[in-house]
Amino acid sequence: MLIGIDVGGTYTDGVVFDGDHILSSVKVPTDDNNLLQTLLQVLDELLNSLQNVDQISRIVLSTTLVTNILATGRGERTALVLIPGFGLPHNAYQITTDTFFLNGAIDFRGREIEGLDENEIITLAQQIKKMNFKRVAVVGKFSNRNASQELEIKELFQQIMPEVSIFTGSQVSNQLNFPRRAVTTFYTAMILPEWINFAGQIEAALKSRGLQSEIHILKADGGTMPLHKSLEKPCETVFSGPAASTMGALAITMDTKNSVVVDIGGSTSDLSLMIDGQPLYASRGAEIEGKLTHVESFSLKSVALGGDSPIIYNHETGKVDIAASRLGPAACFNGNAATVTDAFNQFYELGLGDTKRSNNFLGEIAALAQIPINELCDQVISQVFERLETEIKAMFLQWENEPAYRVWEVVNRSPFRLDRIIGIGAAAGIIVPQLARRLGVESVIHAYSPVANALGAAIVRPTMSVQLHIDTQQGICIAQPGGEVESPGNLNNMQMEDARKLAIEILAEQAVQAGLQDYAQDYSIQMEEQFNLIRSYHRSGKIFDVAVQIRPGFIHKYKGVKI
Amino acid sequence: MKPTGVLFFPAFDWAITPTHPEREERLLYTRDQLFEEGIMDLPQIREYHPRLASPADIARVHFVVPDLDSHITEAHLVAAGSTLVVADAYMNREIKNAFAIIRPPGHHAMSVSHGNRGFCNINNEAIMIEYMRKKYNIKRVAIIDTDVHHGDGTQEIYYNDPDVLFISFHQDGRTLYPGSGFTSELGGPLAWGTTINIPLLPRTTDEGIHYVIDNLVLPILKEFKPDLIVNSAGQDNHYTDPLADMRFTACGYAILNEKLAPDIAVLEGGYSVETALPYINMGIIMAMAGIDYSNLKEPDYDPGMFIESTKNMNAIEQIVKQQLAVFRHRQDVIEENRRTGPAWFNEYKRIFYDTDYIDEEQKVRISNCPVCSGVRLIDSSAQHRNGRLYDVFCISIPINLCPECHEKGNTIYKDMIKNGKYDLVYLQDRIDDKYLCYDSKTDQEQSY
Repeated sequence: MLIGIDVGGTYTDGVVFDGDHILSSVKVPTDDNNLLQTLLQVLDELLNSLQNVDQISRIVLSTTLVTNILATGRGERTALVLIPGFGLPHNAYQITTDTFFLNGAIDFRGREIEGLDENEIITLAQQIKKMNFKRVAVVGKFSNRNASQELEIKELFQQIMPEVSIFTGSQVSNQLNFPRRAVTTFYTAMILPEWINFAGQIEAALKSRGLQSEIHILKADGGTMPLHKSLEKPCETVFSGPAASTMGALAITMDTKNSVVVDIGGSTSDLSLMIDGQPLYASRGAEIEGKLTHVESFSLKSVALGGDSPIIYNHETGKVDIAASRLGPAACFNGNAATVTDAFNQFYELGLGDTKRSNNFLGEIAALAQIPINELCDQVISQVFERLETEIKAMFLQWENEPAYRVWEVVNRSPFRLDRIIGIGAAAGIIVPQLARRLGVESVIHAYSPVANALGAAIVRPTMSVQLHIDTQQGICIAQPGGEVESPGNLNNMQMEDARKLAIEILAEQAVQAGLQDYAQDYSIQMEEQFNLIRSYHRSGKIFDVAVQIRPGFIHKYKGVKI
Repeated sequence: MKPTGVLFFPAFDWAITPTHPEREERLLYTRDQLFEEGIMDLPQIREYHPRLASPADIARVHFVVPDLDSHITEAHLVAAGSTLVVADAYMNREIKNAFAIIRPPGHHAMSVSHGNRGFCNINNEAIMIEYMRKKYNIKRVAIIDTDVHHGDGTQEIYYNDPDVLFISFHQDGRTLYPGSGFTSELGGPLAWGTTINIPLLPRTTDEGIHYVIDNLVLPILKEFKPDLIVNSAGQDNHYTDPLADMRFTACGYAILNEKLAPDIAVLEGGYSVETALPYINMGIIMAMAGIDYSNLKEPDYDPGMFIESTKNMNAIEQIVKQQLAVFRHRQDVIEENRRTGPAWFNEYKRIFYDTDYIDEEQKVRISNCPVCSGVRLIDSSAQHRNGRLYDVFCISIPINLCPECHEKGNTIYKDMIKNGKYDLVYLQDRIDDKYLCYDSKTDQEQSY
């Protein structure tokens, strides 16, 4: 038996899944101020529905904790120390008010092109110490190619301020993009204390309930990681809720169509795309609090429009609008305001809840606007469709306009051809079929649509990736994660097959270390490129970049759902 | 403020040959530098996605012999198409200016293309400019060729067009490919003075080149009042370029682009892949986007490394003076040519394709029209690498011709088909956007 719990913005959903069906499911309102409490409430209700808790082999949690910490500024104050070298002016990298700059520079081949200034480092360390920072993130441009300057600074800092925790960029990411690496490292440093605390509480809570099961955290890339792994990269847990929905949509369809997944919650709708049955990634990484990061995430669009969005009459414009902030449930479900759900309920005669209440509350607004109720509903419904349609089309366009760096990518690119819309979330069944009709495609609403997010969390497999950069001329062989790698044999004789094999071995080794040996063979090649280095018309070396990953997918046991 | 458009297309899967300067690795370190800087994430920059140029886009500029498929690869179509993407974005006012960092390059490709010369098969800038003239009704264009090699292809395409100003400064043709671009090349009889060449001695520095920009290029631009300024942005004037011998710096390039303020810059040559390109490309983007570039420099660069000789400065001052005078007298000379010239101006040329080792012979005739710049006829023959000899006849009707010359060109096309002497007869009618190629062997006409 598997448990999946998704802590969303409005509601927290949980399911117990076994074999090919959901045994029980729970939905409770989320208490933003106490996510742990909400989570445990759902867990306890799920456990109460079972006779024997020993059979639970895995629990997967998706939580908004990291997003909340960053959004509310609860993260620990952190100094960001950058080594920007030559290029953009320093003010382009003023990521936070506590940003400091040091001399030194590494180039794209990992060569040191400007040395560090030890006195400058010591002076800065003393300043940081005086300012009472407990955490420091040190990030250098091209530290992904050569981490020595970051490490040297870390060592000096550690000597001067041994009580301070120091994070380096090379430890967090080895992809190109210095500002994203800086932001990701900075966020990691900021949120880690609270995350460790949260993870500890969860572990204790499970123990006190006598649970022996594995505990995993859901990531933005639609995969899981064991709880202890999340202590290294807590940022990866952002946006895991929408990722859970996307994976849930995949779980109930399990085919290779092009889809848009529309997860309609209480106050927001989350959109994501699937191409040939594969979720589409955000090419620029997850954007957290307005800043791009190196966190791998699905391409998501969140629209401030949900089933509980209230309908209001705007006295200034004399028009009917849909407000952004949720006041409570729909009138038909005993709420005290007319909502989008009520408009659909009334117009399409869906018979949801207390239809009289829908009618009454809609009637009040219709009276203000001096239009018949049906006309009001029609206006609201049109607005809902127009906004969703606009956002969906913008997502297609964005996908079609992704940059391309190879001839074949340009030649083989085609416009996005939509096959269908998959509706997820409680209100999806009301809105999505009509939306699909408007777009001229089919819609999928499954019996499990209302809890597909929690289902997705319950059954997805762990993901991991390894990126390997090899520069035979510079004698560089670096893996992320892992750092420098001893090359098997002479680096100069390295061929693409060897580089690929090495990356796969490293991934397998790391999978075993993380206790994920069952998935070590489920890797795929995410990216590979090789360049011959030609100097004076002769080959003088090669550069390889290989990325292998265990892609998002389902645990081996999962073969689809039956109702 | 609108962003600067950047279209980065490094063609990581295309090379002329594995060890050729035009190889996959060329923009690798530029990629590394641009991506690591995170410059594409800045609000001042918007990145664009390439598309393929259509056969009509190519035929608007070129007579490709024997046909497009013979030596124009998909990579060429993507590079040319990329310029059209930024052109559209610029004309739609999405961006304030744009830099297309693309390969393969194009500025050595001439109107007739029998193959590759100087690493170029088709002329990306000309394809973009003709697209913009047709689609957006752009009238006057200035092309500043800042590549170290003379932009002989672009010069040839616009040699007879008084509405397109072509200015090229370069290492002088006695010491570098393609061996042209002398001060005496000033444009055809009816477009005299809108081709301006500034050959520079090897080892010319920032100081020398900026003297040319300040005292010749900028004053001419001010007087010419173009609707569009294009930088044919080669990067091989750099002091580390392996194929040339100049002393220009990354910062020099950045300042140049700040002064020139091109609407669109298109990458041409530049083969110092590690020590120059990453820094120059950054510098150009920053200058065009209005980002402070004072923190940008090559790792080995020290101010004061290169000092211009007095002798060279004197020579440059001389050329600048002379060419400025040429430009300012151009209308008088054109009037004189028109009045005293024959009904048809004739020219005989030989063109060498260094990459593909093809020798081409051309007889060019341009009608002396009292109101426009005249229809252009090119009689070209060349033996291709496969041994086949092609005799082709090409009729070019630029977009700014008068109705009579327009009709004359179309009549000549029909006459030349009847004539039967040529393997292929081409009509390039930019006014009607009609591009035809008649094959005498098959008696078939192809329309683009």
